[in-house]
Amino acid sequence: MDPDNPKPSGGLKIPRIPDLKIPKIAVSWKQALAAAGTVVFVVVVVFVGAATLLNYTEDQRVAAFGSHVSASEADLFQVYDKISTHMRSLPESSSVAETDASVREFAAIAGYGRAVTTYNRQIVAADTVPEAYLGVQSAYVRALDNLNRAFSLWSSAAAAYDARAYAAAEENLARADEAWREYAAAIEDYDRELRAAEEGREVPLA
Amino acid sequence: MEWKDVLPVLMGGLVILVVALVVKPLLLGEPLGLVSGPVQMQQPPVYVPPAPVSMPTPLADDGEVYTQNFRWTAIDGGVQTTQVRVPEALFLAHRETPRFSDYTSWGRYALADADRPILEALARRIAPPTANPDEGYFRLMNLVFFVQQVPYDMDDNMTSYTEGVLPRHAMYRKDSVEYPKYPVEMLVDGRGDCEDAAILMAGLLDALGYDTVLLRYSDHMALGIRMNEFNPYYAKYTPKYFEHEGKHYYYIEGTGFDREYFSDNSTRFWGRPHPIGDAAGTDIPSVKSETPQIIPLHYILEPGEYRIRPVRLLAGGA
Repeated sequence: MDPDNPKPSGGLKIPRIPDLKIPKIAVSWKQALAAAGTVVFVVVVVFVGAATLLNYTEDQRVAAFGSHVSASEADLFQVYDKISTHMRSLPESSSVAETDASVREFAAIAGYGRAVTTYNRQIVAADTVPEAYLGVQSAYVRALDNLNRAFSLWSSAAAAYDARAYAAAEENLARADEAWREYAAAIEDYDRELRAAEEGREVPLA
Repeated sequence: MEWKDVLPVLMGGLVILVVALVVKPLLLGEPLGLVSGPVQMQQPPVYVPPAPVSMPTPLADDGEVYTQNFRWTAIDGGVQTTQVRVPEALFLAHRETPRFSDYTSWGRYALADADRPILEALARRIAPPTANPDEGYFRLMNLVFFVQQVPYDMDDNMTSYTEGVLPRHAMYRKDSVEYPKYPVEMLVDGRGDCEDAAILMAGLLDALGYDTVLLRYSDHMALGIRMNEFNPYYAKYTPKYFEHEGKHYYYIEGTGFDREYFSDNSTRFWGRPHPIGDAAGTDIPSVKSETPQIIPLHYILEPGEYRIRPVRLLAGGA
């Protein structure tokens, strides 16, 4: 076979490379604009979709955390209702039987407070919040921890009273007061952290 | 390019949105859609009120009783007598009750509910109610003098107990025995030591509506009675008081009545009672030198801090 003039045995003629021509595509301006528009549209959809999804997820997490804090506060105010009713009913001087009954109620409220703080602490601590809200969450969990400790010490005080160890009961109440003050400090931290998170700035040191 | 070429791209975007807004929230248990709402949670704990306590069985009225006669000199110098009857079942129940090792709970003895009717009746006999408020002081002093004249006896002395033996719940200290008596125990025994007298006096005064505290020294116990101001013109001493929660409690001695019998075989005696606030006249060194521990009779658990602080809720929190 002559390389300059290839002619296969079947008689089919293969064109030479230099003879090949790019097929002519006829593109109108209208078609070109439609293609470019589609590309831009796809890019915008992908970008907006991703951003929306990301924002949505963060908002969702903050909203979930907020609803858990709200539910926790509602529960705590139910406990406070019991406490304030009990404190108002404390008699200046009463019989031993009445005082014992009052301490039994005090112990029941302490148990209720302990259960409520443990329950809400688990829920709030399990929330996955955006980085900006980590300080808020941490302060609220700390507040619940301190409150839980205060209620535990109330229970210990009631147990000491039952054992007629009044000095130990007083000691437990004093420690409970201290835990309660730490709870109040944690709530102040929470408010400060929340303001900072909502304004999107660094939290100043307490 | 035609619309049929764009359609798959739009469908792809739609699928992404459906996955983000419906499928993921369903899988994670979050609320559907763009509106955020409270997350469904399991119910929080509920308050469980304390179980009611069964009332103690009342003592039978027709049971055996202990009878004890008392004779004392009242504030007007007249000799008084009275008889106290205590159900045997009540007395034995007290004897079988373990004592409290913590001094701060000894006010419970004075306020024992079962002793109350006996103490109220005795207080009315010693200091009968009167319409004249000026006689309040004499009523008070008659009660004080009555208790001061109940004979003193140490806890480790068998003569201090009507059975003649140490009760099984007596507490053994380092070098002594301690057995604080319920008021009716001292009435039945007819004798007791300083804390027994303070407890009996506290129970009687509480029955008359006085606010009292126990005053505990290292080796002694006395009573404090709340008075706004006590400074009688006849007192040749400065009345001693202690402040507790903004109130003044004046010292009252429950024992130490200076008793002198007219003769060896005489049952008649004369003596000098200790007036209110006369701490220096007791001749007890600890009373003169120490500041006592104040033990309220009525003890209640009252925390100083109990207010829940409201927090600012997040936007979106219910």
